[in-house]
Amino acid sequence: MATEEKKKELLEKLRNAVIQYDEDTAKEAANEALSTGMEANDAIFNGLVSGMVEVGRMFEAQEYFVPELLMCADALYAGLDILKPHVKQLDLGVKGSVVIGTVEGDVHDIGKNIVKMMFDVAGFTVYDLGRDVPLDKFVAEQLRTDSDLVCLSAMMTTTMTGMKKVIDDLRTKNPNVKIMIGGAPVSQDVADKYGADGYAKDATNALKDAINMVASLKKMKDEVEAKKAK
Amino acid sequence: MNSRERVLKLFAGEEVDRPPCFSGMGNVTTEGLKSLNQKFAATHLDAKMMAAAAASTYKLFGFECAVAPFDLCIEAEAMGCEINVYAHSEDLLYPTIKKKLIHNEAEMEIQIPSDLTKRGRVPLMAEVIGLIKRDIGKEAAVGSYVLGPFTLAGQVMELNDLLKLSFKKPDKIGKLLDLLSDVIIQVAGEYQKAGVDYITVREMGATSDVLSPRVFKSLILPYLKKIFEKITVPNVLHICGKTNDIVPFMMESGTKAISVDQKNDVAETRKKVGPKTLVFGNYDPYNVLVAGTPDLIRTTIKKCMDDGVSAVWPGCDIWPTVPADNFKAMMDEVRNYRR
Ligand code: B12
Repeated sequence: MATEEKKKELLEKLRNAVIQYDEDTAKEAANEALSTGMEANDAIFNGLVSGMVEVGRMFEAQEYFVPELLMCADALYAGLDILKPHVKQLDLGVKGSVVIGTVEGDVHDIGKNIVKMMFDVAGFTVYDLGRDVPLDKFVAEQLRTDSDLVCLSAMMTTTMTGMKKVIDDLRTKNPNVKIMIGGAPVSQDVADKYGADGYAKDATNALKDAINMVASLKKMKDEVEAKKAK
Repeated sequence: MNSRERVLKLFAGEEVDRPPCFSGMGNVTTEGLKSLNQKFAATHLDAKMMAAAAASTYKLFGFECAVAPFDLCIEAEAMGCEINVYAHSEDLLYPTIKKKLIHNEAEMEIQIPSDLTKRGRVPLMAEVIGLIKRDIGKEAAVGSYVLGPFTLAGQVMELNDLLKLSFKKPDKIGKLLDLLSDVIIQVAGEYQKAGVDYITVREMGATSDVLSPRVFKSLILPYLKKIFEKITVPNVLHICGKTNDIVPFMMESGTKAISVDQKNDVAETRKKVGPKTLVFGNYDPYNVLVAGTPDLIRTTIKKCMDDGVSAVWPGCDIWPTVPADNFKAMMDEVRNYRR
C-alpha cells in the first residue's frame, strides 16, 4: 500500500498532467498509481478529474481556449484508458448512458464535444453520433442502446427546431427516456416549450443535471421493480 | 449619392452623407425568396436564382448592397470536399461539408488542383456576380466573401485536429494555412475579375471564443497579411466574438476595414483604433433584427452609430426570417440619423 505522502504526490502528478495537457505524464502517473496499489477510483476522481475541473475554470476565465481544452481532454483520456479496467465498481451514485449529437443541418460541434467529454469523465457510456445527424437517427440509437439520456445540441435557430421533432418522436416511442438540450440559441424557455427534461448553458451544468436526471430515472425503475417483486 | 457611391466613397476614405447600411456577409431574406417564389435550397446551385435572391434585399428594403454566395463551402468544394445542400429540405438549412479532404494528420500534404478556379461553384459565382452587376450594379454595391485561412482549414479537415495541431505542430498547420491562402487568393481573384466592388474575408473560426489572441497573432496573422496584400478591391476582415483583444492584429493584417460582432464593445474598438479606421458593425442579426421589436432595432442601430461605427453592418449573416417591418425600422433609423 502506498504511503499517504506518495499518494498525494501521485494525485498531484495526475492532476497536473491534465492541466498541462501532458499525455505521457498522465500515462506514467496512472501506471504508477496502479503499481503502488492506489484505488483506480481515487486516481480518476481526485487526480484526473480534479485536474479537469481546474481546466474548466481556466477555460471560463479565458486563460485556456478550445485547443487547450481538447488537449487536456486527451491527457485525461490517456490516464483514464489505463485506470478504467481496474475500477472495481464505478461508484458515482449513478452509472448512466447517453446518446449525444448535433442535429441535422448543423455542423457546429465544438460545444457538443465539450459536453461529451464531461460525460466521458463522469463514467457515462457515451454514444456520440457526431454532427449534422439525421433526426430519426437519435431515436433509432436510443432504442438500440436503451440509453438513459439523449442530449441534443444545436447552434442555429433553424436547426434548433429539429430538436422538437426528435423530442416528440422519442416521447411516443419511449416515454421513460430523459432528454436534455443545449447550444447557443437554446434557453430554458425553449426547453420548456419543446418539452425537454433539461437544459444547461454549459458543460459543467449539463453534467450536474444529467446525473440528477439519471438518478431519478433509476429510482423510478427500482420502484417499479420493487412493486413487481411484491 | 446612391448606395453604391456611398459605400465606395466610404472605402476610399471620402466624405459620406451618413454611414451606409450594408453587409459583406449573407443577407438573403425569406421575404425576398417569397417575392421570387424561390426555395432557399435551390438558390445555391443556380446562378440566376442566386443572383436574384442576392439582389432582392436591396430591391425590397433598400439595403445598400447585394452579396453572394450564402454558404461557406465554395473554396472547400473547389478543393475537392463534397457538400450537402439539403435539396430535399423545405427548411432554411445552409449547405455544409459532407466529406472532408483531410481525415488525419498523415493526410495533410495536399495540393491545389491546377484547375482550381474551374472547379465546384467558382465559375457559377463569377456568373452570379456578373448577373447582379448587370441588374443593380449601378445603384448598389456588389460584394462577395471568401473564408479566412484558418476557417477554411476547419472546413477541409477535422476541426479538433486543426485546433490541437495548432498547438502541437504549428509548423505543419502554418504550411497548410499558407497553401490555403493561395486558394483564397485565387478564388478572390476570380470574384475581382467578375467585377465585385468589395470582398470580405471571414475568419470566423478564429474567434476569441475558440482561439487565444496569442495563437491568432503567431499562426494566423501572417497569412491574413499575405491575402490582403493580393486583394485589390476594397476589403474587410470579419471576426466573430469579443475581438477587442485582437483588434490591433486585425488592423495589422492590412485590411481596409474591420468588422466586429455584437459581443464586442464597439465604442471601445473605436477608442483603440482612432477616428479614421473603418470599423463596421455590430448589431445582432438574429436576436435583434429577427427576434426584436422595431423599437429595439431602432435603439440598437442608433447605439451602433453613437458608438462610432463607420457603417451599420450585422455581426454575421443576416438570419433570413427577418420580418419586413424590422428591416424597414433599421433602414429608417440609419437614414434619419444625425450625428
Ligand atoms: C465556430 C463557428 C462556426 C464554425 C463551426 C465549426 C465547428 N465544427 O463547430 C463554422 C465556420 C464551420 C461555422 C459555420 C456556420 N455558422 Co457559425 N459560428 C461559429 C461561432 C463563431 C462559435 C461557435 C462555438 O463553437 N462556440 C464555442 C463553444 C464552446 O460554445 P457553444 O457551442 O455555445 O457550447 C457551449 C454551450 O452552448 C453548451 N452546449 C452546447 N451544446 C450543448 C448540448 C447540450 C445537451 C447541453 C446541455 C449544453 C450544450 O455547452 C457548451 C460548452 O460550454 C458562432 C458564434 C458564437 N460565438 O456562438 C457562430 C454561429 C453559431 N454561426 C452562425 C452561422 C449563421 C453559421 C453559418 C450558417 C454561416 C453560413 N453562411 O453558412 C454556417 C453554418 C453551416 C451549418 N449548416 O451548420 C450563427 C447562427 C445564427 C443563428 N442564430 O442561427 C452564429 C451564432 C454566429 C452569429 N452571431 O450569427 N460557424
